[in-house]
Amino acid sequence: MRKRTLKRSSLRRALTAFWWLTLIFLYLPLAVVVLFSFNAANSAARLTGFSLRWYHQLLGNEQIIEAFGNTLILAICSSVIALAIGCLIGYGMYRHRHRKLGWLIVLIYLPIVLPDIVFGISEMAFFVQFHRLTGLLQPGLGTMVIAHVTFQIPFVALIVYSRFVGLDPSLFEAAKDLYATPLKRVIHFMLPTLKPALISAFFLSFTLSVDDFVISFFTAGPESATLPIYIWSAIKKGVTPEINAIATLMIGAVALAAMISLVFNRQRKV
Amino acid sequence: MTDLTNTVNTADRAEVADTASRDRRGASSIRMQGLRKQFGRDAIALAGVDLDIKAGEFFTLLGPSGCGKTTLLRILAGLEEADDGQLTIGGKDVIDMPPHRRSVNTVFQSYALFPHLSVRDNLAFGLRMRGEPAAERNRKVAEVAEFIKLGPLVERRVDQLSGGQKQRIALARALVCEPDVLLLDEPLSALDAGLRGQLQVELQRLQKRLGMTFVFVTHDQDEAMVMSDRIAVLDSGIIQQVGTPREVYEHPANAFVARFMGHDNLFAITASEDNWVDTGLGRLQLDPAEQRDAPDGWLLIRPETLELGGNIPADYNRLEGTVEERLYRGSRIEYRLTVNDHPLTAVAGNLGQRMHDVGDRVTIGLCPEDLVRVAA
Amino acid sequence: MLQTPSRRHAVVSETRHLLFTVTPGAAWIIVFLVLPSIYLMAVAFMTNGPYGLPQLPLSLNSFEQLAGVGFLGWSPGNLYTLLRSLWQTVVATGLVVLVAYPIAYYITTCRARWRPIMLLLVVVPSWTNQVIRTFGWMNLLAPGTPLSNLAEMMGLISPNMGLYPSNFAVTLGLVYNFLPFMVLPLYAAFEKLDTAQVEAAQDLYAKPVRAFWHAVFPQTLPGLLAGVVLVAIPAFGMYVIPELLGGGKAMMLGNLVATQFSGGSNWPLGAAGAILMLIATFIGLFAMRRIGKRLGGGEEVVI
Repeated sequence: MRKRTLKRSSLRRALTAFWWLTLIFLYLPLAVVVLFSFNAANSAARLTGFSLRWYHQLLGNEQIIEAFGNTLILAICSSVIALAIGCLIGYGMYRHRHRKLGWLIVLIYLPIVLPDIVFGISEMAFFVQFHRLTGLLQPGLGTMVIAHVTFQIPFVALIVYSRFVGLDPSLFEAAKDLYATPLKRVIHFMLPTLKPALISAFFLSFTLSVDDFVISFFTAGPESATLPIYIWSAIKKGVTPEINAIATLMIGAVALAAMISLVFNRQRKV
Repeated sequence: MTDLTNTVNTADRAEVADTASRDRRGASSIRMQGLRKQFGRDAIALAGVDLDIKAGEFFTLLGPSGCGKTTLLRILAGLEEADDGQLTIGGKDVIDMPPHRRSVNTVFQSYALFPHLSVRDNLAFGLRMRGEPAAERNRKVAEVAEFIKLGPLVERRVDQLSGGQKQRIALARALVCEPDVLLLDEPLSALDAGLRGQLQVELQRLQKRLGMTFVFVTHDQDEAMVMSDRIAVLDSGIIQQVGTPREVYEHPANAFVARFMGHDNLFAITASEDNWVDTGLGRLQLDPAEQRDAPDGWLLIRPETLELGGNIPADYNRLEGTVEERLYRGSRIEYRLTVNDHPLTAVAGNLGQRMHDVGDRVTIGLCPEDLVRVAA
Repeated sequence: MLQTPSRRHAVVSETRHLLFTVTPGAAWIIVFLVLPSIYLMAVAFMTNGPYGLPQLPLSLNSFEQLAGVGFLGWSPGNLYTLLRSLWQTVVATGLVVLVAYPIAYYITTCRARWRPIMLLLVVVPSWTNQVIRTFGWMNLLAPGTPLSNLAEMMGLISPNMGLYPSNFAVTLGLVYNFLPFMVLPLYAAFEKLDTAQVEAAQDLYAKPVRAFWHAVFPQTLPGLLAGVVLVAIPAFGMYVIPELLGGGKAMMLGNLVATQFSGGSNWPLGAAGAILMLIATFIGLFAMRRIGKRLGGGEEVVI
């Protein structure tokens, strides 16, 4: 369906030009990072030649390897926990959508709307005091997982909920009608139907976790730096060109994820 | 379009009758007593329903939307819990039995085919949930796919099917479980008129062939009359009348049923004496069988029973009317008349006779035996 | 109302089901977010102790400090920070709208098969880490880069200063960061646009500009408002971008708050700043709901 209303060729040409300018605007900073990661010189301002030296240096840097491990552990653990909890709550919201669940909706949206910084410092203040009082929950990967799960739950819940809402309600009844016990309904109907939603919820949670800096920063302990935290402190200390190389690898991972999501979308449509 | 019942041709009649009588032993009767259901504080869906459905019967629940017919069907399926009342299927009390343990299957209005499964897996779903062995399952699925002439489609995904195909799959998915009772919730309402008419006939033949108890829900009185052995007309959660299509159409129990069955010619009875009644049309003679003591209620005149002009037998009631409108409907002609300022509709079969023109004065003959008294 | 045993049983089991599914998530959010937030709000009313940790007695000291009252008398620094946060939020949100509106419209006019790809292209940069994206801008705007040299030649900045650190760099970073947040809801609004209204307006002799104003703009308003909330709330509390691109003279409220916690200098002051952000957040959400309800369809765009 084409909108015929403002279809004047000059306007359209201007819009097309604007679109490409915006794309340049969007990708220029990323391109610069990638470009400098292959730069031979030790300078952020001048390109001198192609080199892989920063990537070689990465491999020798134990702090970076450790930060990479922490990032993965954090993302996977938090996504798995958030998936389980968010799935339950999403189904609960769907099943009981005719009840007055305003308080629940507010609760679910709270982690989404709360500014990162408030989120981060609340958790930090809480964990620090909790640790002082009980000796438990020392800031570190554990507290980071808790914080990440907290902001991932709403996204999982909303994805699961909207998948269920998009289904024909009679399907639940058809499963009952066709002799499925409650457990079998979960295994043979709900989980298979939810599969696409679960996959995208997991990937979204994973991405949110890797993407997050502020909340991680405030809930991290001295031993639990993730890649974003490492990059941050490296920038703060004075840029080293290694940063470009790690950043490029992370951009590459995102580009890969984008490709996958594109292919996945295509397949679903056919 | 494949035909469900092409397999039944006249040569097989004897065999079909044989199958039917054998299968009918597996069919179940249904007994409902005092079923009540209320949603929220004041939405009464069922206000005490008593109903007996015979084994092997094609039974239709007919009524306008919101009359409680779907709620009743869902209670039979176990998808809704009644607030009060008894329900037995095949003599077994099932009121507290969850749907997955009832030998009752439903064909849903939206078909409710599982989008994540192929046609084959949809068909096998119920058998699989009941834990039937794979070999048995495959045999039954192949059989039912063959039976509904959808064999080539079994590997397809559900979203690649047309509406009519989905309808058949939904039906087959329920049938393959060989339930005691099959429930059909307006299964034809999403189809276009042509396909719908065809499937009405097919479903009815199928039911006779299987001898299974069918409970069918619809708001379409024509559909109900074509298909059913018996019809229950519901309104406001109360059963208004139970009877064969002919009983319900020709002798509606009350004015609601009469109107719902499509009757327009209803006239308030102002006085009655022996087998005579007074209405807005005038004083009319009824069949003595229609004699009542009370002067209340309505007089029903079916439009197709009116004689217009020509030779009217001597024992008929005679009225004088004016033609206000003439609607030519091909096989029949519908006249909108006024008699004593009261509108009256008449329908005459199109036998090539001369048509009355708008403005004509006509003599109307009413056979006393065709006049029916209807309770308020 | 009838309450037979089976009905009561059904109600109880439904409630148990609700509790079973909802409790883990709800409890998690309450314990790990609601309680900490309440504690944080309480901290704002405590006194700053040694090591920056809060202690009793209760006081409004932190709010006075936020307003600029310190050991050396009143200074406007914190107030400037507040005003700067507001100003940056307003300017960045306005610029984001100006860029996103034509982009969202343009995408809807392209072929259906290209649209998901175009949307993906807009969104993908925001999948990379915020720190990395901001780092990219640092590389682009640093002194001696082509962009800085260009600005210098045009006399926009003094020699060898570079475009960063500056307020301008922060605004640019904010626009860059939040553009997708505005494009998506606007695109959704354009996608649903009822073109018959536009045709009706043209049919009734409206010139293009008026047709746009009366038939297009009102239909996109819910999406626009959703975008404004999605951009303005996090922009007001932004920490990373001003910290990296801003420098000392471009500090925003987020930096003020974060410093009190990360430097461990003054929790109550930081908490007071956080309360300010919370208030702004809830005003934004409330306004959004109100306007959304009046326009209809506001609820869904929030999701």
